[in-house]
This record gives sequence, C-alpha cells and structure tokens, in this order.
Amino acid sequence: MSARRRVVVTGIGSVNPAGCGGSAVVADALARQSQTIAPLKAFALDGCPSRLAAEVDDARLMALLDPDAVRRLSRICRMAVAACRLAVEDAGVEGGARLGLAVGSEYGDFRSGAEFFNGFLRRGPAGLSPMIFPNTVMNSMAAVAAIAIGARAPSVTLNQATVAGDLAVARAAALIADGRADAVVAGGVDEIFVDVYRGLSALGALSPMGGGGAEGCRPYAPDHNGPVLGEGATFLVLEELGVARARGASIHAEVLGSAWGGIPVAPHTAPVAKRDAHRTVWRALDQAGIEPASLGRCYGSGNGDPSLDDWELELLAADGIRGPVSLAPLFGQHGGLGALRAAAGALDARADRAPTLVHGIARGGCRSAVIIGRAA
Amino acid sequence: MIRVVVSGLGVVSPYGAGAKTFWAGLTTGECAIRPVTVIATEGFRSRIAAEVPADVVASLGVSRRRSRADRIALTAAREALAEADLAPGDRADMGLFIGAVGGGMLEGEEWYCEQAAGRGPSPRIGALRSILPVSHAETLAWRLRLGGPRETVVMACASGAASIALGADLIRSGATPLVLAGGVDAITRICFMGFNALKLLDPEPCRPFDRGRRGMSIGEAAAFVVLEDAEHCRARGARVLGELLGAGMTTDAHHVTAPHPEGEGMVRAMADALAAAGRAPADIGYVNAHGTGTPQNDRMEALALVRLFGEGRVLVSSTKSLVGHTMAAAGSLEAAATLLTLQHGLIPPTANLRDPDPDVPFDCVPGTARAVELQAAVSNSFGFGGQNVSLVFGR
Repeated sequence: MSARRRVVVTGIGSVNPAGCGGSAVVADALARQSQTIAPLKAFALDGCPSRLAAEVDDARLMALLDPDAVRRLSRICRMAVAACRLAVEDAGVEGGARLGLAVGSEYGDFRSGAEFFNGFLRRGPAGLSPMIFPNTVMNSMAAVAAIAIGARAPSVTLNQATVAGDLAVARAAALIADGRADAVVAGGVDEIFVDVYRGLSALGALSPMGGGGAEGCRPYAPDHNGPVLGEGATFLVLEELGVARARGASIHAEVLGSAWGGIPVAPHTAPVAKRDAHRTVWRALDQAGIEPASLGRCYGSGNGDPSLDDWELELLAADGIRGPVSLAPLFGQHGGLGALRAAAGALDARADRAPTLVHGIARGGCRSAVIIGRAA
Repeated sequence: MIRVVVSGLGVVSPYGAGAKTFWAGLTTGECAIRPVTVIATEGFRSRIAAEVPADVVASLGVSRRRSRADRIALTAAREALAEADLAPGDRADMGLFIGAVGGGMLEGEEWYCEQAAGRGPSPRIGALRSILPVSHAETLAWRLRLGGPRETVVMACASGAASIALGADLIRSGATPLVLAGGVDAITRICFMGFNALKLLDPEPCRPFDRGRRGMSIGEAAAFVVLEDAEHCRARGARVLGELLGAGMTTDAHHVTAPHPEGEGMVRAMADALAAAGRAPADIGYVNAHGTGTPQNDRMEALALVRLFGEGRVLVSSTKSLVGHTMAAAGSLEAAATLLTLQHGLIPPTANLRDPDPDVPFDCVPGTARAVELQAAVSNSFGFGGQNVSLVFGR
C-alpha cells in the first residue's frame, strides 16, 4: 500500500472583519485580538431582537478588486475572489490543472436569490435578470474564484452550518491525499444579508436567544446566549509536500491528520448526551500519530450557542481534550470562521508551538477534526 | 487499491417511486415531461417540466411536514438501503454524500412570498430551517441513523455525480466501507424562472442532439446508490449491482455558465475517469450523456466525445429527454440509469430525436431502447461553474 500523500499549508488569504490580507494580516489580527463585533450598520434592524454583527469593511474589500470585478460580482463573490487571490499570492502558487478549490458556506448568495426573486415579484417574468440567476446557485463563489485563480482541478462547494470552513479544509486535504489535486485553495465564505439576519433572529438562532441576558458572543461562558453573525472569506493553500518543496514554497505547517463525521441527531439539534461513534477526533489523531496530551491547543467551533457549546465540551472531554479556544468573538459566526481556525493552527505551527486540533461540531451532528503541526 | 461496488439503488423519478419503475419508464421511451403543476407558470416561455406525479408524492409515506425534496430523498435513500440489505450495525459508520442545490427552497419561497406581500409574520417561517441544501443530509442521517462522514456537495448540475465520486474516494481512503451517495432536487420557482430567464428551456419537451433543439426541460428526482468496499460486500455475501471503476472531476475555470469552447474540461474529466478505471476509450460501449438539449451543451459535449472516443465510436443517449434535467439529482439519476443499462444490456433511448444534428457524429439511440452487450459505460455530468464529473461503471 502506498504511503498517504502529505499535505502542507503554504498560504493564507483572508477578508475578515478585522482586516484583509495574507498570513501576516491574519497573524496580526489574531495577535491583536481585535474586537470586531459591534452594532450592525449595513441595514436597519427595527423590531429585531438581535443588533450585533462583525462586518467586513466594504471600502477595504473594494480596494482589493478591479472595477470590472466590482461591477460583475455579487458582494459574497467579491469576498471569495479577493480572499482566494490573497491566498495564492501568499503561497506563490500558480493556477493549472492540478490546482483545486474547496469552498464551504453556510448560506451562500442569498442576496442574489432575493434580488432575483424580487424582480419577479415586482414585474413578473419580465423582471427576472438572467445575469443574477447563476449567483443563486451556491457554487457561484467557487465558480468565479476558480476563474480568478485558474483552478482547473476539482472545485467542490460544501454547504454546512457552523463548520463549513473546517469541512472545506478537511475535504481539500482529502482531495490532495487521494491524488485528485496537488494543491487546493480551501476555506469558507459568508456575508451578512438582511433576510438571513432577520430570519435567524426571528427563529431565535442568534444572541440573545430567547431574549435572556445581554446580547454578545460568549462561547463556553456560563452566560452564553447565542452566536453573533460575522462575515468574510478566508482561504488556505494546501499543497502536497513534495510539490511544495519542489517549487521552493514557504511552508507554514502540515496537516497532520483530518477527519470528519456525522452524529445522527435530529436536524438543528445539539443533544449533549449523544456520542460520536465514528471517533472523528481519534481518527485525525491516529493519522497524525499523536495522543491528545501532545496537543498544544484546540480551536473549537464554540460560538455562544449554549446547546452547541455544551455538546462540544462534552464531546471533546470524552476524547480527552479540554479548554478549547474560540475565535468566534473575534470574527463572528460565518462560513470562513473554520478556515480562520485552521489558519490560526498553521500560524501556531509556524511559531514552533505544539500541534493544534481544529475542531468543529454543528447542530445536526456534522463534526470535523483537523490536526495541524510543524512540517517535519 | 480498494475496489468500490454498488450494492443498493433507490430512485424517485418523474415515472414514480422505485428503481424498477424508473427503468421501465426509460426503456419504454415514454417522455415524462408535461405541464408544470407545482408552481404557477403564467407568462413564461416554457411551462413544462418532468415532475414526480402528485399522487406518488402523496403516497410516499413520509411526513408532509417535510420539504418535498426531503420526502423524495428519504424514499429513494430507503430503497437503496433496503436493497443493500445491510446488517443493523453497518449504518453506524456509513458515510452520507448528498448532491443538492435547491434544498427546501420550494417551501421557503412560499414563506418569502408571504413576507414580501406584507402579510405580517408568516407561520411558514419554520420552512427556513430546511431551506438550505444541507437540510437533506441532516434529515437523512437522522431518520436513517447514518453515523459516518457527511457532506452536502453543491456543484450545480454535477452535484449528484460528484457526491458519488467523492463518496467512493472516502471508501478508497479506508475511512469507511459504506457510503450512501446520491442527489436530490425538487422543482423550485427560482430554478424554473432562472432557466426561463436565461432562455435555456425549450417550450416543447427537450430534444437532445436534434438539429432543431431549443433548450432543456427541467425535472425533479432523487437517486441514491449504496457504495461499498468490494471486499466488505463479498464478505457479507451481498449482491453486486455494478462497479464504480473510476471517476474524473475537473473545472473549466473559463466561464460561469458557458462550457469551455473546446470542451477541454469535459475531455479531461472523461480521460481522468478512464485512467482511474484502467480502461481505454475502446473499452467503453455506451455514454449516458449530460445531453441537456441546449444548443451549446450538446455541441460541446459531442466535440469532447469526438476528441476522446473518435467519431461514432461509442453509443450515446440522453435520458434527460425522458425525465428532464433533474438538476442536483441528475448525476446520480443518470448513474442509476447507467448501472441499469449495464445490468440489462439495454440502452435507454434519446426521446424526441427526429432530425439528428450533423455536428453530433454519434448514434444517439433515437426513440427506441436498444439491446447491446456492454462491459463498461460512462455517465457524464456538467454544470454551471464549469464543473465536470465523469463516472465509469462496469458490470
């Protein structure tokens, strides 16, 4: 049996509420622990129980794109294209038939969907825009990003709550390990859109869930009362070790192990008592050849959702892992957050810290585990 | 190298529920494209589609509180699992890969219309919980007790085929010996209106590879296969329906909606799939084409087939002419059709093909199913975003 192909991280690109840039900008945002959650500015929130968000500065985003891209692309596609370009620039990798793309998103381009549908509601069939329709399909971000970076190997879009970015990174590592690509730009993207924000708030899915306590993002805290939405796009360049070395790439870290699973629970629920029969974290640890005690840090997907936070703590404790750190208070909950966790793990490795577990669990039971450490 | 076989198959199609019903419909050549009933169509250029019949949806035995897409997905998935005849413990670590696009959007659109009409908070807001594509995976994993890795793959019209390719990769990696993979899509207003707006729908039932083709016809379906490590399947004495010999996945990176002008990504997907399968083009007897019936797609696909196989060197048909383009389900529905074709040695016809396009230099099996002994066949799926997936199946 041939040895599994080793996967390393060679680039990071991010458009997030704390800033836009490559690995240096993400490292700086993590070091500064910038507080980006603030009263939402993009639209009015009359009658809405939630009022906070972590928003991307549109001026910064526009500065990354040429006027043609700004004109052609929807806002979420702009974020995806900008972040992917930053990532490939950071890595110095070029497009081609062996470069793939893995995009995770929680909500996709709902803005375009609503715009398209509203055209019909206003003017009937004559009000439908053929230019907008393609954006309503959730792989539209991958479609434009693949063109922008010349990714001609598989381009996979994954829809998943809470852990979309984590899952995309794990999927990308598998695409390389399975030989489908030599490099994959992997991460996640979401934007804050009025109908989604209001809908989630009305469903009681955002802080302050159920109306109790002060609104805010307080993962794992006794007074956690729901997530706060964020937005942005973050992508990592994952690459097969030999290919990265051959082109003289600067290697940040290695993906030592990755696995994902699914705990069969009722949709949208997070029952603390349910255990993971697939042993997702242990599968990733086994691939990495390490024990939980060897881990330096665990970046968890805790986002302030009480049931989900508690379930994650229970699942991790059952695996012998305690004290996860959440980045949700820095960037808000969005599809790129998992990729930011993976980026943080890669930057820890580059700083010679012990291996990191990037862990994720979503309501409904999708679970992911990525172990990132120094490339030996 | 782990070989991946298919040990279960389940379908809900415009012909009704069940793989046998699907196969009977395909081989009789009955076109299931008819006037749309699930949504209003006044004022649109095309007003037809291939719907799962209302009486079939009503009798599926799945709670009506679930979205239409979840209901047909659950039914098809249950059939596939039943045919695979798994032991009770097998599902605990079984993977679940679902190709999806529309999710529960049909019901979400009703909520949105009420909101937009300003009729106050709508009681239909619960529909938002299952509006996203990922809702299918959550529902199926829960109802079917599937505890392995789970992915919701959104790759436009190639989603269903991609879910099969990626599910097989997972088995080959050794992560799990069993995966339930497939796709689902119900007709939605956005999809119907969008393809109308793009003028990609034929007002008449679609005519793939016909000189006078004017576009596609949309449809809805769910189709799932149980993929299994061949050794695992042999050890438990299960029946093998076919083998997934190889899969190719590529991206054009050329245009969001138009295929590459030389079919470059399509050729690469088919060539990669054949290479993975260890087969030469001459080993392939049949291609279940993406064959949408749009002038551009059919021309590009024919060009790609010529480049790989040579003119007239393989039999080609489009089952979309019979059951419409079922979007995210299309790739898995056509994978099911390809498996059944190999099993029965009978190629389903291309319906409505009366005046073959000279730019499509292949025998496209017009009108009537044809008996042919086959060892291996290709199923092609292409989608918006330049997504190309080719699957090679063997007997």
